[in-house]
Amino acid sequence: MNRVITSFNTFFLIVLFLSLIFSIFSLPKLNIDEEQSIRVNFYELIQDDNQLFNSSIPDIGIKKETKNLSSNNKEQKVVETAIISKFKINKIDIKNEISKIKLSKEREDILRVSAIIQERISSVWIKPNSLSESLIAKVLINLAPSGEILDFDLIEPSSNNFFNESILTAMNKMTFFEEVLSLDRKLFEKNFRNFNLVFKSSGEIE
Amino acid sequence: MIRFFLLSIMLVSNSIFSILEIEILKGSDNLSKIAFVPFGIEDGVEEDYGEQISQNIEKNMLLFGEFENLDKNEMLSYPSSEDDFFYRDWKVLGVDYSVIGRVNSVNALGNLNISYSLFNINRRIKILEGEIVGGEDNIEDISKIISNRIYEQITGLRGIFDTKLAYVINSDVDTYQICISDIDGKNEQILFTSKSPIMSPDWSPDRKKIAYVSFENGLAEIFIQDLKSGDRDSIQALGMTNSAPVWSPDGKSLALVVSFSGNPDIFLYSISNKRLIRLTNHYGIDTEPSWSPDSKKIIFTSDRSGSPQLYEINTKSKRKKRLTRDGNYNARGRYFPDGKSIFFVHGNDGNFQIAIKKLSSRYIETLTSTSLDESPTISPNGNIIIYATKDGSNGYLGGITLDGKARFSLPVKNGSVREPAWSPLIN
Repeated sequence: MNRVITSFNTFFLIVLFLSLIFSIFSLPKLNIDEEQSIRVNFYELIQDDNQLFNSSIPDIGIKKETKNLSSNNKEQKVVETAIISKFKINKIDIKNEISKIKLSKEREDILRVSAIIQERISSVWIKPNSLSESLIAKVLINLAPSGEILDFDLIEPSSNNFFNESILTAMNKMTFFEEVLSLDRKLFEKNFRNFNLVFKSSGEIE
Repeated sequence: MIRFFLLSIMLVSNSIFSILEIEILKGSDNLSKIAFVPFGIEDGVEEDYGEQISQNIEKNMLLFGEFENLDKNEMLSYPSSEDDFFYRDWKVLGVDYSVIGRVNSVNALGNLNISYSLFNINRRIKILEGEIVGGEDNIEDISKIISNRIYEQITGLRGIFDTKLAYVINSDVDTYQICISDIDGKNEQILFTSKSPIMSPDWSPDRKKIAYVSFENGLAEIFIQDLKSGDRDSIQALGMTNSAPVWSPDGKSLALVVSFSGNPDIFLYSISNKRLIRLTNHYGIDTEPSWSPDSKKIIFTSDRSGSPQLYEINTKSKRKKRLTRDGNYNARGRYFPDGKSIFFVHGNDGNFQIAIKKLSSRYIETLTSTSLDESPTISPNGNIIIYATKDGSNGYLGGITLDGKARFSLPVKNGSVREPAWSPLIN
């Protein structure tokens, strides 16, 4: 009796193990009926759709946002296969998209903070009159993560001493760029730990 | 593998060589704030002098609206030497620069030794110090010298507080006066009064003479008047009428308009040998000449294209070039002191405004917002334009800094003021 129970247990464990393995490695079956839709938000996916359906599948009235499946079973299977295989491809696309979104978010953050810094410096820089001269000077800024200006240096002065002095005077009015506090630390280290301010005078009245 | 290697190089090079750059093109609309601290005095010197000098300097520096001041009552202390000067006392009040000084007596004859210092509060450094010895009667002149030095140190431009202005006042229907005064309107001096119109005053480069047009003999005639002696001489050039005289930068000749049989053209007139040299010869009206700072070219107004436009002519080759094309009225052109730009009266839809144009650019920019502006004249440092304009029927002098931050009007005179001419600097 014990042997029977042991064998049953062993069988049960094997079945359990197999079903676990099966559940791990089996792909989820994607069923899409006429009422269901998949939102395709990414431009690349839309392009892929067009390529996919244009090349291998006859025109079945697939729209960019909603894919209506035909009533024909054979065609439905083809479409399902196509979409499933497409989903396999698009896992990579989605990863790319996520990294793109991340990059674009980073870019947005950099632009946002840069614009605020630009505005704040402009509000304190009393630009000398230099109608006939085009001048450029560059200041290297070293920031703490708190936004405190640890150091600044006029690394590329212009040929006009009063233009340079006006820049140093403006820089001395600034102590903090607290806007960087809103940034991710890695983003701060990469872009705002050290950055340049390029002061320009076009030589025109502005 | 190769792709990975290349990507690694790109990332490394990116992190090593690229650094975020933020461009700053626009400056603040705010003005620099200056604290003019009453000058300290030595025992035995009249207390009034310390206050008087700092007030004079303050008035000068604020004359064209280029700076703002800190009210004396807001000051936390009145330091008169560097030892008593604490940057934090001024930083906390939002001051950009502080002027301090001290008046010491030199001798019993009334000579004073005035020492002064200028501090950049934001940079926490002293940027100017100096001493002047002068008489008690010269407090105003001493204040102007100190004001010039402070102005130069802050702006990088020559100070203009000791310059003068010539202008014409039309006080009654038939009374015209040509006057000169200090740039702040003080010390007005009437050079000549006439019942006929007086026009177009222009300073000789040494500031000793003024040339102008008078109609006292019925026709437009050019006179040169010596400012010290008051002597007047008609240049008696040929032709029916002579007008619009402008001194050459070397003071040896005049550019002027001579009209033979009713057709005005531009000529050069040598003062020493009284010779006329024709520059233009066109059936259109050529008028309002003015020299380039290097004496090589003359800008003038001509209607040869059908409307008044600005042209320049090389005085040697006599090659001409049209300078303006925008709008149907551009007249009374003058060069900037650096010779790279011009300013003039630009007419558009019945509005006449002061405009500027870089000679290397196609575009013009109007500076003023009033609608009947005329006769612009520029400060010798090239930073301020004064022009005649109208409020109803009354003419007055308005001014604007080239950065457009400050607009001002000069003290009102008895009568309509027209045709301002800014004197050169004293070298």
